[in-house]
Amino acid sequence: MSTPLVALRGAAVGYGRRPLLSGVELAVVPGDFLAMVGPNGGGKTTLLRALLGSLPLLAGQLERPRSARIGYVPQRDHVDTIWPFTAGEVALMGRVPLLGALRRPGPEDHGEVRRAMARVGVEHLARMAYGELSGGQRQRTLIARALAADPELLVLDEPTSGMDPAAELATMDLLRDLHAGGRLAIVMVSHRLEAVANYARTLAFVDKDRSLFQVGPLEEMLRPEALGTLYGRPVTVRELDGRRIVYPTEGREGR
Amino acid sequence: MSAWNEFLAAREIWMVPLTASVLAGALLGALGVYAVLRRIVFVSAALTQLSTLGLVTTLLVEERVHIETEHPVEQLAVAIAFSVVGALVLGALRMRRLPAEGGVGAAWVTASALVVLGASKLVHAAHDLGGMVFGNAVAVPASELVALAVVAAACLAVHLLFAKEIAFVSFDHETALALGMSVRGWDAALFLTIGLAIPVSARVLGALPVFAFLTLPAAAALLLRVGFWLAFLVAAGIGVVAAGAGYVLSWLWEIPTGATMVTIAALLLLPGALGRRAGG
Repeated sequence: MSTPLVALRGAAVGYGRRPLLSGVELAVVPGDFLAMVGPNGGGKTTLLRALLGSLPLLAGQLERPRSARIGYVPQRDHVDTIWPFTAGEVALMGRVPLLGALRRPGPEDHGEVRRAMARVGVEHLARMAYGELSGGQRQRTLIARALAADPELLVLDEPTSGMDPAAELATMDLLRDLHAGGRLAIVMVSHRLEAVANYARTLAFVDKDRSLFQVGPLEEMLRPEALGTLYGRPVTVRELDGRRIVYPTEGREGR
Repeated sequence: MSAWNEFLAAREIWMVPLTASVLAGALLGALGVYAVLRRIVFVSAALTQLSTLGLVTTLLVEERVHIETEHPVEQLAVAIAFSVVGALVLGALRMRRLPAEGGVGAAWVTASALVVLGASKLVHAAHDLGGMVFGNAVAVPASELVALAVVAAACLAVHLLFAKEIAFVSFDHETALALGMSVRGWDAALFLTIGLAIPVSARVLGALPVFAFLTLPAAAALLLRVGFWLAFLVAAGIGVVAAGAGYVLSWLWEIPTGATMVTIAALLLLPGALGRRAGG
């Protein structure tokens, strides 16, 4: 198994002194596609912040064997649209951590941004005001910003939240295409298992209210008994036209 | 002799105050872009009160130890200290049990109450304080213009050198934090410049115009949809026009200077607001 880009070892995560989740063992290896799934307010974003190192651990260790380049896509609604930046200016911010203080973006940086915007299909929007873009276009612009840093690990927090089904599919297909190159590892958070069941390689179930943290290969985690621990009731997985559909079924309180 | 000719003839009287007013208008106008976009305009109101509290504290101490002469440098230094500490504390507020506005409101109302209490104990300096709080741009000593110019140059340097970092952290602090940027450090740099600008400007313009200049020119510039970076120049320009025209008109019409500046700054909101309305 390859060296992880980032890993949590025996981690306890939370705010203040109160752990929301304990004993977390999680490693992201190059080329992985990890989806963290769980209910709203279940601790997924907290875990993500711990994995990124922006939230100090209450116990355990965060391992980053080498300094991997990371791209981050926040929840779209967390980015204030009153700021009068163009989409191109937003995407250019992805280069800021690489530049360091006192250095201004040069032609190479602008070139990377153009390539990143083209990769996600928004290069024609570069001069448009970010706040005037549609939800899907804003999401792609934020992904372009993350890609502008040429990341080895792309981290996304609820990238399809609030999207209609078509936009959700388009965003997930885009992530699949970005991942298909094999170099990029993806970690994403979603409260909808259906959104990620056809894309992720690795699945983690997160629910702080039930002290639940389970992680494993997708096929293993989509077994009914594993899904029952997340939903607390029987869950069925079916394939229809080559796509997995996940739905809870009527029945007793699950395992 | 017409009022205009009288005004021109009195150049030696108004040259320093007018220059200081225009400089303060430009400085506050530009910094206001961050105050408006970060939705922290009431932080500037709280800092203005804190800076006034610093001033009152100095005046009280001077009276208590029977210092007869004015010490404007010490007064300004204490006002700056109160404002800068307040800026750094309010800028770092991330209270989990209260929205940040709660801390800002608490700082504003507490500082205001303490200013009233302190002013009630002033004997000789009460009249001076009125001019300092409500603005008396008619009489500004050259030393205050120098202090303002130094602060403006420092703020300009910080915002030119670290523009991209301060903008990124202000726009999307979550991503900046996730990417390992020193969000607290860059926030502190921004709030430090605001904390420095307020007391030196308040000495020139007074408290009400300072709050107004941190809000109205930036709002006017943003309504014009000129883009982020150009908004700083346009807001500074609007600050210059409002301060300059306000000063001149208040002289010619013999009306309060600070209030005239604020009214003109408010009128300059109209082009953007009406243009936006017409544009849909």
